[in-house]
Amino acid sequence: MDSGLLVQSLVLTLVTWLMFFDKYCTQLFTYRPVVIGPIVGLIMGNFEIGLQVGCIVELMFLGQVFVGTALPPEETFSTIIATAFACIANSTEVALATALPLAVIAQMGMYFRNMVLCVWTGHRLEAAVERHDLKGITMNCLVLPNVFNLVLFALPVFLAVYFGADLVQGIINAIPQSIITGLAVGGNMIGAVGLSLLMKSINFSKMWYFFLIGFFFASYLGIGNIGITMLAVICVAAAFYADRDREEQAALS
Amino acid sequence: MSETANAAQSPDTLHRLSKRDLLKLYIYSQAFVSGFNYEKQEAPGTVFSLIPVIEKVYDNEEEKVEAYRRHTELFLTEARLSHLILGITAAMEEEHALKHDIDPASIGAIKSALMGPFAGIGDSLYHGTLRPIMAGLAVSLITASGYTSPMGAILFVLVMAGVGQALRYLGIMYGYKQGVSLVAKIQSSGLLQKLTKYASIAACVVIGGFVSNLVAMNLALSYSAGETVVSLQETLDGMMPSMLPLALTLLCFWLIDKKKVNPVPLMFAVMIVGVLGSMAGILA
Repeated sequence: MDSGLLVQSLVLTLVTWLMFFDKYCTQLFTYRPVVIGPIVGLIMGNFEIGLQVGCIVELMFLGQVFVGTALPPEETFSTIIATAFACIANSTEVALATALPLAVIAQMGMYFRNMVLCVWTGHRLEAAVERHDLKGITMNCLVLPNVFNLVLFALPVFLAVYFGADLVQGIINAIPQSIITGLAVGGNMIGAVGLSLLMKSINFSKMWYFFLIGFFFASYLGIGNIGITMLAVICVAAAFYADRDREEQAALS
Repeated sequence: MSETANAAQSPDTLHRLSKRDLLKLYIYSQAFVSGFNYEKQEAPGTVFSLIPVIEKVYDNEEEKVEAYRRHTELFLTEARLSHLILGITAAMEEEHALKHDIDPASIGAIKSALMGPFAGIGDSLYHGTLRPIMAGLAVSLITASGYTSPMGAILFVLVMAGVGQALRYLGIMYGYKQGVSLVAKIQSSGLLQKLTKYASIAACVVIGGFVSNLVAMNLALSYSAGETVVSLQETLDGMMPSMLPLALTLLCFWLIDKKKVNPVPLMFAVMIVGVLGSMAGILA
């Protein structure tokens, strides 16, 4: 069992590193919970739990828009470990209990990376510019930041999964059922915070009636997310044509 | 270095950026946010991305260093729309290198002028609208398959990666072709404001739907009226389904927007309320 876990932990470490490369370079969005969940589930041999955790954590961090340079809780590192733990314990509640604290820990790692390590490489890059040293620029913009990702995020994933698996199983067995049920209740509510963050990032106070259109169609009529997206397209079209009419009349008069 | 060997070739063709150079810029600019830090933000990525441009258009070492140096200044905008600015910057650096008829300080000024509006529209369109919509759809598709099919996740990556890389590629190509003239066009047409408005409308509708479809909060309480036991949640659903998720979302919005509550402690607080509420038999 242990050699299997060793291989799984090593593969997870590599996947983590690649996802952080994607997060900071190619940005193909493989680093979002809804994608990570099934991938980690495949690696850990529990695809269904992986898909479930991916959806649960994605909803927790759906509204992850923080304005300016403030960092949101780090969802990638958090989802990888939370999904791995959930697959080991065969219960999604493990992910509910661990995802948010892990995201806050990784957020601190991210602050350390951006405030200390990459400021250091930034200064080294400026020195390389003065020497017209292209290798130095590459080293300090591309190579070292990815080494930081390896040390700060990928290696801790290995340590947590390889050495933490037994511990997690033990802790889960010790937690009373009432708290585990409660975690699922809280997990269903936590999306409200993310959605209110999204509302803050747009001009909500002047567009609250569009919000209510979406809400009432979903609540009273039971229309799902795909239908709501169609409704959004219709609302945008209505606003677009209203604007165009107004502009034409303004041009005439 | 090459003044005698290439005397026959005009400097114009020798130092003008080719399609191949722009492709190199596109590949180098994949590392645009790699060196992100809190001091100069995306400046390290800007310097690195522009290596193919600066090495091509300038002849002597001194000019190259000077060009790199002006891009070590703070730069921060949305990572995808930044590539339109990179394209315009490439056009300006080329113009400066070939004709020396623009003030190099204006290159930095143009970059600074565009980064604010581009950050605003990029964040609201891409991260505030497209990503939550696609993520919500992905979750719906996965849930509808009974947690057996990853199609939702695959669709999510295809759309996000496709749109993101297309914006990067087209931004560089279009920005280079249009050059500085694009700046005036963008600023005068009101296009950015319009796009922001339409994106906000779409986001509002979708978020409203998400509140009902993706947030769940149910009362476990019931009371007995004579013989029958009445569930409080059923009574609430009779008036307005998803009333509690709506109230919770508006409360969170009010706390974050008006009371300036930090979202991370608020997430913990909501989780704790859920656990305690469930243990006390109030929430289910």
